[in-house]
Amino acid sequence: MGLTADEFTVQFISTLLKFSILAVILLQVPPIMVLVERRIPAFMQRRKGPNRVGLFGFRIYGVLQSLADTIKLIFKEEVVPTGAHKAFYHLAPVFAVFPALMIAMAIPYGPDIQVFGHTIPLSVVRVDVGFLFIFAISSLAVYGVTIAGWASNNKYALLGSLRASAQMISYEIPLGMSLIPIVLIYGSLDLNKIVEAQTHIWKWGIFLSPISFVLFLIAMFAETNRTPFDLSEAEGELVAGFHTEYNSTKFAAFFLGEYVSMFVLSCLASTVFLGGWQVPFFDVRSLDQLVGFTGVGAFVGFGSLFMKAAFFMWLYVWVRWTIPRFRYDQLMSLGWKFMIPLGLINVVVTALALAAVRFS
Amino acid sequence: MSELSNFMSHAVFHALAGLITLVSLMVVASKHPVKSAVFLVVDLFLLAAVYATLESHFVAAIQVLVYAGAVVVLFLFVIMLLNLQPDQLRGLRFNAPEAVTLILSLIGMFIMIGVSVAGKPTGLGDGSLTVEAIADGGGNTYLVAMKLLTDFIWPFELASVLILLAIVAAVVIAKKDHKDQPA
Amino acid sequence: MNPYIPVLISLSFGLVLGGALSALAALLGPRKPSTVKSEPFECGVPMVTSANEKMSVKFYLTAILFILFDIETIFLYLWATAFPQLGWFGIVEILVFMLILVAGYIYVVRRGALEWD
Repeated sequence: MGLTADEFTVQFISTLLKFSILAVILLQVPPIMVLVERRIPAFMQRRKGPNRVGLFGFRIYGVLQSLADTIKLIFKEEVVPTGAHKAFYHLAPVFAVFPALMIAMAIPYGPDIQVFGHTIPLSVVRVDVGFLFIFAISSLAVYGVTIAGWASNNKYALLGSLRASAQMISYEIPLGMSLIPIVLIYGSLDLNKIVEAQTHIWKWGIFLSPISFVLFLIAMFAETNRTPFDLSEAEGELVAGFHTEYNSTKFAAFFLGEYVSMFVLSCLASTVFLGGWQVPFFDVRSLDQLVGFTGVGAFVGFGSLFMKAAFFMWLYVWVRWTIPRFRYDQLMSLGWKFMIPLGLINVVVTALALAAVRFS
Repeated sequence: MSELSNFMSHAVFHALAGLITLVSLMVVASKHPVKSAVFLVVDLFLLAAVYATLESHFVAAIQVLVYAGAVVVLFLFVIMLLNLQPDQLRGLRFNAPEAVTLILSLIGMFIMIGVSVAGKPTGLGDGSLTVEAIADGGGNTYLVAMKLLTDFIWPFELASVLILLAIVAAVVIAKKDHKDQPA
Repeated sequence: MNPYIPVLISLSFGLVLGGALSALAALLGPRKPSTVKSEPFECGVPMVTSANEKMSVKFYLTAILFILFDIETIFLYLWATAFPQLGWFGIVEILVFMLILVAGYIYVVRRGALEWD
């Protein structure tokens, strides 16, 4: 509104550009993580892990393993179980993929850049409601799980999907509550403004609201159905959970959805609690003038955010090979009886402390 | 707002309205309850898009979060809980109550069409809440919050009582004979 | 630029990608169907009943409690955005709101509605 046509064109083209680059990056997350999830545990357990796959005799530490896996997955035969609800069986992977990809667009990946007098924010989607957008879209992810399990005509899948969907909705509340103190502290729902407020390392969310960080971290693991909360695919009892009957590229779709949402939640945690694209003791935005080239600061900022997100991704893998799985009743009582009361207390205490400082 | 964007917003609205009508019809016409529920998700999502085009960003987000993301999950759970097969259900057939509902809805529709054709619909606002005014005032979410927590404080507090009643009712209904339920 | 244009772009990309992944499975792979292969997986045991089991009422209760607490969280967000302007008045207001709901929460816990056995 109130923009000239020229400004509109610039913004539109830059949006398309940012979107394409981000989409390419996001699609690299699952292949890399598949390899990481096999190499890191191998390293932890003093095994070799997959190190054989190579090209023309060059093994390069098995980096091409994921490529081989992808090719194998794509050319697998698709087996639709008898008695499956066909339309829903084919629909479920769509619901598994699109929410994760959509919410990835709302993360600010770097400071605004100035190109030919136009200010271009480094997040694709920037709406008035801020990160409520992320919650809104990610709440749709539950349908992929529910529909997949129900449509497969498989008891393991049905049980897995019921468990997973009840778990996902239960932990959505602590996830939401854990970020209310952040809104109170930084005074904004806009992720860009939250990052910009974390100018100094002592202003990072993890130091200003440590309980929020703990709650968010736990809820983040539960939302993505990862160990120790991977009840949905407890392989000892449920084979593979809701995607038991899925194979070929449909299975790849669930994989993609899971890893992308892990990555997005990692980015969100870094943005809110670890200063996002900020680098400690240094203003990234001053780099542009220092080096004399536009975009250097944004690039460094993006690298900073990426390193922080990579830490959380590594944490996912680390926890997976360290902590055993919860029992279902333990999982539910942790969410409902521990995290929700703690979240509420956290909100009240933060509000009172802030009020004592600001309104006195 | 320029002529072009005015035209665009009308075009977008009418496209969305048409889609919503179509999807709503699919919700009631689907034989399978799960199919109805999935169409309902799409329907509610499209409604959120209408709110978004009306610059009600907060309501749009809440529409997706609560209705598309939570209420329909409950519907799906209930459908699975009862586990009704399509042959146990009636499709869209017309008997007395449904015919009355249909007639009443048609009358309501014609009244609305009549009102909108006869003259400008009179909204509640005084026209001061333009897009620019909202942006200057701190954004849609903030303005809704200020309005709700100052002018509408009693409805807000009553909402908590309403939620409390709903919590108690849900527990009373679901816990009544839970020993007879299959695990 | 309207902020929902990027939303629309990413939504359509997600839907197209998901749809493509779903459709490619049937197009690219070989197809040699057999009755045994397409049976739902039951660890090798012949399927006795269909998987359309009735489920526990606990899931229903979880879902309805989720909606109610979700709404509470949204109200808390609304208050949080207007926190500096409302000041102590807002805090008292939200404390009353929360206390009423905490009463409901305590009732839920006392009735054992959150017990999974």
